[in-house]
Amino acid sequence: MTRPWIRAAARIGLVAALAGAVGGAKTHFLLIEGLGGTAKFADRFRAQVETMLPSVRRTAGQDAKAIVIAGTEATGERIGAAFVELAASVGPGDALAIILVGHGTHDGDSYKLNVPGPDVTGKQLARWLDSVPAARQLVVNTTSSSGGALESLKSPRRIVITATKNGRERTATVFGTYWAEALGAEAADTDKNESVSALEAFRYAEAKVKAHFEERKGLATEHPVLQGERAESFLLARLGAAAELADDPAKRELLASREELERRVAELSRRKDELSSEEYLDALQELLLRIAEIQERIDADSEGDGEERP
Amino acid sequence: MTRGRPAVLCLGLLLPFAIPAAGQRGAEKGHRDPALEPCDIHHDRGRAVEAASCYRSLLGGQDLAIQAEAHWMLGDLKAANDRFREAVRLAPENPDLRVRWGYLYIESHNQAEGAQLFEEALELDDRHVPARLGMARVLGARFEGKALETVQEALEDRPDQAEGHLLLGRMALEEGDLDTARTSLERALEKSEALGIAPLEAYALLAVLGMLEGEPDNEWIDRALEFNPRYGQIYAEQAHFYVITRRYREATERLRKAIAVAPRLWRGHAELGVNLMREGHDAEGRRHLEIAYEGDPYSAKTVNTLRLLDKYDDFESFASEVSAEASQPRAIVRLPRKEAALLRPYVLALTERAIEEFERKYDFRLQQPVRVELYDNHDDFAVRTMAMPGIGLLGVTFGYVVAMDSPSGRPPGEFHWGTTLWHELAHVFTLESTNHLVPRWYSEGISMYEEWEADPRWGEPVTPEFIDAVLDKKLLPVDELDRGFIRPRYPGQVAISYMQAGYACRFIDRRWGFEKLVELLRGFADGQSTAGNLRAVLEIEPEDFDKGFDAFMRAELEPALDGLGRWRRNLKQALEAAREDDWPAVLEPARAAKAAYPQFVGSGSSYRLLATALDKAGDRAEAIEELREYERRGGREPETLQRLGRWLEEAGRPQEASAVYEGLLYNWPQDEETHRRLGGLLLDAGDADRALREFSAVIALDPLDRAAAEYDLARAYVKIGNLAKARLHVLQALERAPTFRPALNLLRQVKR
Repeated sequence: MTRPWIRAAARIGLVAALAGAVGGAKTHFLLIEGLGGTAKFADRFRAQVETMLPSVRRTAGQDAKAIVIAGTEATGERIGAAFVELAASVGPGDALAIILVGHGTHDGDSYKLNVPGPDVTGKQLARWLDSVPAARQLVVNTTSSSGGALESLKSPRRIVITATKNGRERTATVFGTYWAEALGAEAADTDKNESVSALEAFRYAEAKVKAHFEERKGLATEHPVLQGERAESFLLARLGAAAELADDPAKRELLASREELERRVAELSRRKDELSSEEYLDALQELLLRIAEIQERIDADSEGDGEERP
Repeated sequence: MTRGRPAVLCLGLLLPFAIPAAGQRGAEKGHRDPALEPCDIHHDRGRAVEAASCYRSLLGGQDLAIQAEAHWMLGDLKAANDRFREAVRLAPENPDLRVRWGYLYIESHNQAEGAQLFEEALELDDRHVPARLGMARVLGARFEGKALETVQEALEDRPDQAEGHLLLGRMALEEGDLDTARTSLERALEKSEALGIAPLEAYALLAVLGMLEGEPDNEWIDRALEFNPRYGQIYAEQAHFYVITRRYREATERLRKAIAVAPRLWRGHAELGVNLMREGHDAEGRRHLEIAYEGDPYSAKTVNTLRLLDKYDDFESFASEVSAEASQPRAIVRLPRKEAALLRPYVLALTERAIEEFERKYDFRLQQPVRVELYDNHDDFAVRTMAMPGIGLLGVTFGYVVAMDSPSGRPPGEFHWGTTLWHELAHVFTLESTNHLVPRWYSEGISMYEEWEADPRWGEPVTPEFIDAVLDKKLLPVDELDRGFIRPRYPGQVAISYMQAGYACRFIDRRWGFEKLVELLRGFADGQSTAGNLRAVLEIEPEDFDKGFDAFMRAELEPALDGLGRWRRNLKQALEAAREDDWPAVLEPARAAKAAYPQFVGSGSSYRLLATALDKAGDRAEAIEELREYERRGGREPETLQRLGRWLEEAGRPQEASAVYEGLLYNWPQDEETHRRLGGLLLDAGDADRALREFSAVIALDPLDRAAAEYDLARAYVKIGNLAKARLHVLQALERAPTFRPALNLLRQVKR
C-alpha cells in the first residue's frame, strides 16, 4: 500500500511537470558516453545512448539543445567545450539535464568518469554545471562508483541521480540500461500524463535494478540514489500525444483548466483523512468527471488519443 | 586448531547439569586413564551423586587428561575443553587425546570440530582405530555412505571391540536390514560384556530392533533400566528411529517416556519439541524446546527452532472453506506475511485440488486438516526439516504437516512450487493411509508418479545422470531401493533413487493398473515388506519385477538411452554457433540434439536454440511449436515461457497463451507481467472471476504502475457486475493518475 504522503507528492509533481511543459520552458540535454573498455561494455553503453536519444530529442524539441558526445570524442576537453556552449545558450528559466554513461571510479577521495585522455572528475563536472545559468539542473550518473560524486555535485538547484550509493560500489552497473528504457516506457509513466518525470524514471529504473538482483538471488552491487528536490517536476520525456499538445496554442486554455482541476485533486487528497470515505470518493469523483469532460475536449481534435487497454 | 572453539568454551560455563553420554569407558573411544573407571561405573549405573563426588575427587590431580574427563563428566565443558587443549599442547603427538577431545565436541553438538580432531589423530597415526571409529560415528550421523567402509577397516584392524559392531548395527537398522543388525548388535553386546564396557548402547539398539520388529516395549528396555534406572536414552534411541522412518506420533510417545525417566535429558526435550512441531503442536513443542534451552543453551537445533517459532509472528495462516458436511477445514496454509496476499489463492486452491483428487484416487479420507507451510527464507525451511536423512531441499512432509520453500526463496525457474506442493501432498496420503508404515521408496515413488500424472509439465524431467545410471546398471533392486535414499553410495544417488521410484510406480500402473498401486499401499499399511507386498499384490518375485522394470525403463528412455553422445556433440555445436550469432548454423545440430534426447529441457536445451533460430529465419509458427514442446516436456525457464506466451498472443491464440501463463504461475508467481497478461486474456475470454484473481495478484506485488493495476481491477469488477467495487478501484486509479484516459472513460460508466 503506497503511503499517503508519497501519493500526495506524486500528484503535486504531476501538476508542476505539466505547468513546465505548457509554460514553454526549454529543457536542454547533454549526453556523455565514456569509455567502454571492452567491446561488450562499449556496445552496452552505445545502446543506452541510442535508446535515450529519440526521447531526449523529442523533449528538447526545436528550441533546446540535445548534445551527444561519445566514443573517442568524449574527452575532457570536448566535454568542457560543450558546457561553454551551454553556458552561452541556456537561459535561467530553462532546465538542463546531463546524463553520464560509462565506467566511473572512486579513489576514496574523488569520483572520476573514464573518458579518453585524462578522466573527468566530479569536482570538474560541478564547476562546469555551476557555469550554466539554468535554474533547474538534473545530473544522471549511471556509472559505477557514481555515488562517489553525490557530494561534489550537490547544489540547491540540482537534482542528482546516481546508480550507486557511494564510490565503493565499483561493479559495472545495470542502472543505465533501465534508466534509458524508462525514458520511452509507458510503464514508467505512472501518473498517466504521457510524460516521464525524473522521479518516475528514477523509480522505474530503481525497481528494475532491485528486481534484477532479486531474480538472480545475488548480492546487489548497486543501490541507486536520488538527491535533491522536486524530481517529480523535472520533465524528461514526453510520450505519445503529449509532445504535440504542449506545442499547440489552441489547447493551452484547456490544459490550464485541467491543471487547475488536477491541483484540486491533489489538494483533496491531502485532506483525505478529514473526510469520511464516502465524502472523499464523491468529491474525488466530481473533480475527475470534470477532468474527463475537459480531456474529451482536448482529445476531440487530436489524433491517436488514449486507446483503451486491451 | 582452536578456530571456532571459543564459542563452545562458553557452553560449559552455563551447562552445569548436562548429562554426558554413558559408556565412555573402554579404549575404543580413545584411551582413558584407569583412575576414571570407578567414577565411570557410578555414572553408567545412573548413580549421579556418587559419580559426581568421585569425579570431583580427581580434579585436584596433575594429569590434565584426567582433569579434562572429570570436568566433562561433571558437565563443565569449558574446563574440559581448556584441559584438553593444554594436554594436546603438551603432548601433540598423542592421537588418543585428540580423539577424546573430538568426542567432547560431538557431545557438544559440534560434529564438524569433532571430525577435525579425529582427522588430526589420523594424521598422526593413519591406522588409529579409535580415531577411525570416531570418524565413522560422525559420517554415520550424516548418513554418509563412507561410514560403512570406515567401520569395516577399523574392525579388520581390531576385531575385538564393541564400538565397531555397534556402529554397524546402527547403520543396518537405519537401512532396515534387521538380520544384519541383529548379528552386529549381539556381537556388540557380547564384546561389551567381555571388555567390561557399559552395554547400554547395545541394549538401546537392540530395543530399537525389537521395536522395528513390532514390539516397542521389549526386554532390552527392562534390562537397560535395570542397569541404569535413569537411562532415558533407551527411549530416545527408539524415537530417533521412529523419526527417520517418519513415524512421528510414535516418536513423540517414546520421547515422553524418555524425559519421564530422565527429566534432565535435554536432547530428549529438544527432540520432543521438534517432533511435536512436526505434528503441528507448536505451543507444546515450544515448551519442551524452552526446557531444553534452559539446560543446554548451545544446541543449534534447539536455538534455531526457537528462533523459527519466534519468526512465526511474521507469518499468516489461512484456512480453506469449510464445506456444509464437514466440521473443519481441509487445509490450513501458513505463509510469510509479506507474500500472503499474492500466494494465498494459488496455494489454497492447489492444496484443496490435491486433497480432493488424492482422497478419490487412494480412497482415503484425511482425519484432520493438512497444514501447509511456505518459507521465504530457505534457512528457516532448513531448520524446519533438519535431522532428516536424505531429504531433498524442496519440501518435506511430516504426516499432516507439509513444509516447503516459498517460490520467492529461490531464483525464477529453479523451483516449481506447484509440483513440489503436489509431491508433498501425495506424501500426506501415502504416510497417513499406512500409519507411516510405507517404505521410503514407495512414498517417494507415488509422489513422483503423481506429479507426472497431474500435469505433463510437472515433475522432474529425465536427467543425463539418470540415463547414465540406467546404462551403468546403477539402479538398485526394488526391495533395496530404500538404501538409495538413506545412505547413498555415490554422488547423486538420492536423486536417481527418486526418479527410479517414480518410474517403478509408473511401471506398476502401466502394467498392472492403478488399482494395484492402491492395493500395494494397503499392503504396506498391514506391515508387509516390499518383497512380500510385491508377491502378494502383483504376484511377482522382486527379481522378476526388476527385470520387467529394466525393460520398461529402457523403453521409456528411448531414444535418449543410446543418444547421449550424439546429443552432447550436437548440442555443443549448436551452442557454439549461437554464441557466434550464426543462427542458420544452429538449426541442423539443434535438431539432431533434440532427436537424440528429446526429454532434455534443462539449461541450454535444443528447444530454445531451435525456437530462436527458427524465429530469426522468419518461421514464427515453427518456433512456437518448438517452445510448445519445450513447455509440454517440463521446460521451466520463465523468460522462454513468457516469450512463448507473447508469441501465442501475437499469433491470435489467446487460449493457448493463457494456458502458458497459467502454468508459469506455479513456477514463478512473482512476475507482475504474467499476472497482468493472464488477467487481460481471461477478462477478454469472459472469465472475470479468474481475471480478478490475477489483477489482485498484480496489486499484491506492489506494482510501480499502481494506477493501471487499479484500473484493471475496476474492469474486472465491471464484468462481474460489482459496480461499487469497480467505482472504488477506478477512483483509486485516478487518484494517482487523474488524466488516465481509459480510467476516466470507465468512471463515466460506473459513477454514482
